[in-house]
This record gives sequence, C-alpha cells and structure tokens, in this order.
Amino acid sequence: MKAAGVALLAAVALPLVRDPRHDAFPLSTYPMFAEPRTTRLTMDYALGETGSGERRTLSPRLVGTGEVMQAYVRLERAVHTGEAPALCAEIAARLHGTDIAWVRIVTGQHDAVDYLVRHIIGPEKERARCKVP
Amino acid sequence: MQGALSATRLRALRMLLGTYALLYTLARLPELWSIAHYPASEMEATGLARLAMPAPVVISIAVATCVLLGAFVAGWRYRIVAPLAALGLVFVFSYRSAWGQIFHTENLMVLHVCALALAPVDRDGDHAWWVRLLGALTVVTYVMAGIAKLRLAGLSWLDGDQLRNQIAIDNLRKALLGAGTAPLALPLLDRPAWFAPVSIATLVVELTAPVALLGRRLAVAWVTLAWAFHVGVLLLMWIVFPYPLVGFAFLPLLPAEKLLPRKLRL
Repeated sequence: MKAAGVALLAAVALPLVRDPRHDAFPLSTYPMFAEPRTTRLTMDYALGETGSGERRTLSPRLVGTGEVMQAYVRLERAVHTGEAPALCAEIAARLHGTDIAWVRIVTGQHDAVDYLVRHIIGPEKERARCKVP
Repeated sequence: MQGALSATRLRALRMLLGTYALLYTLARLPELWSIAHYPASEMEATGLARLAMPAPVVISIAVATCVLLGAFVAGWRYRIVAPLAALGLVFVFSYRSAWGQIFHTENLMVLHVCALALAPVDRDGDHAWWVRLLGALTVVTYVMAGIAKLRLAGLSWLDGDQLRNQIAIDNLRKALLGAGTAPLALPLLDRPAWFAPVSIATLVVELTAPVALLGRRLAVAWVTLAWAFHVGVLLLMWIVFPYPLVGFAFLPLLPAEKLLPRKLRL
C-alpha cells in the first residue's frame, strides 16, 4: 500500500507542472491570491431598494447560497446569459415581507479602496429590476 | 517514532481527522441540498463531479458518506469502508466545488482521509511512514500555494501591492454581496506600507513548510506560524479555513494521540 501512498503524494504535487490558473479539486494548483490584479473591479450584484429609495446590499442567501463566491458566480452568469430578470424575481420572492420594495441587478465599476475606505461608489448599470411581491 | 507510539498516533489521526470530516460533511448538507438545485448549465466539472445530478441523489451520496465516515472512525470493516468513505468524500466536495468556486478550504481534509483510507489499520505495517505521509501532504499543499504565487506574480508578489489589491478586491466583493468586510481590512487598506512585510511573511510560512518534517520543535514552530497566518487571513479577508484554524490540518505533524482520551490510546 505504500506505493499507493507515494502515488497520492505525487498526484497532489503533479499540478506543479500544469498552468497554475487551471485549478481543480481535490488536486489543486492552490492559486489563491496569487494572480496579479488591480483594485478596479467590474462586477454584477444585486441591490435592494426600500420604498423611500434607500440602498441596501443583499446577502448571498438571497441569491440561493450561503457562499459569497457562489452568489457572485450565479449573478455573473445570470447577467451574461440574459437570465438576470429570472434571478431578480427569485431574489425578490425571498424578500417578501421585508421593507425592501425593489430588487435591482446591476453591473458596477468600482475602485476597491475608494469604495471601501473613501465610500466612493462607482457607476452602476442596471441589468434587471423587479418588484418585491 | 517507536512502533507502538506510531500505531497509536495513526489510530488517533484516523479517529480525529475522520470525525472532523464527518462533522464537516454533516454541516454542509443543507448547502449541498441548495446547490444541487442549481441549473445543470452552471456546473463546471471538477474532480469526481462530472455531471449535474438530481438533488436527492447528491444528498443520498452525502448521507451515505457520513455513515461510511462514522464506520471509518470506528475502524469497522476498515479495508472496505475506508476507501468507500474516501471516495464518497472526494465526490461530495468535488460536487460542492463544481459551481464556480474551488473550495481550497477542503482539499487537505479530503486528501488526509484518502491517505488514511490506504493506511494500515491493524498492528502490522509501517505506521510511522503513514504518519509522515499525512504530514507531508500538509506540507506539500502549503509549498504549492507559495510556488503558485511565484509562478503567477513572480517576486513582485513580495512588494505587498498584489496582496493589498487581492484583499481590497476580496473585501469589495463581500461588501457588494452583503457579506460584510473583514475587521482589519479597512484600517490596513489605507496603509499600503504594511502589506510588504505581510506578503513576505506569507511566502515564508508557505515555502518553509518542509521544516515541519525535520523534528518536533520545528514542527511546533512552523505550525504556530501557519496557524497565525490563517488567523491573519480571517481578520483581513473573512475567509475561514476551518481545518487549519481548529488545528486538524496540522495534527499529523504533532503528537495527535494526546488529544484522545487515555482509554482510546491503547
């Protein structure tokens, strides 16, 4: 069985010979936080709007997952496949009975440090808008 | 490591890491149910998850994996049960990672269970060798993370800008998705000079992992640094790596048998 153990260790190290961007599970290249990038981010996300027009961020659970990155991917796919209105309605249905009146799915362009530290919100383009039932 | 001690340690690792995998899988069942309802078109095959499956099938496999992991911990019919438990675990967490995000928080747990499934369970066998293999798996994953940074960004990763940008972007995504920002992120993002030492420390922890295989004191020293690194990740990015944070990722490098009640050490 030691041979199988050695093979397992070798398999875990094998991704060293492939492009580190081609990640997989469970044999990963472990590329977390390794890719060079700027602080500019274009991203699709959902926003809530109260009856008085107050802006609210919406939790990943409202997008159907407890995981931030899975919510991120769901929103991105919905926008790029034309399914943003359907996802918008799905999110709105989960907000029934809250003070949020509208759900918007937008594509925003932000500088991360400006947004987080200086509270400067970049431009946002609306992709879908739906009323909370 | 003496024969009896290494057999006890391997047994302790099987029980402790198996219990962790069991509890972790149980805790993920509601989320697996949720992602199993995603449209098949959103799937990105990885590992053993090649096709989208009906939610009841996914959950049945996950529940069966939990049952198998219970038997794995107990050592019941180990030669049959352990490989099946490992296979189930690889499938379940491949499936979880097949929807747009690879969960690097789970690789090592799955790899450890796979290695334990191959290890001897009776008195015969080179138990010390298998304990070292489990430790080597921990070490290799950290070294690979360090090498990936150098391959993708080169030595410029050390100047701190890349790390600062990654932390900024990660926190922005979370803020926009309503998940909140990490407690130390905002105070540090406006102080770029802090990030060069943090970047260097990160690479030092990852690339020096092999020293943990050279002896108990070095193992304890490296494990302490690696654990602190994960605390830092938590405070800067709200990313929880539960396996190392609760210490289980490092148990193969430490006297794991001391965590077992005395009557289970025999």
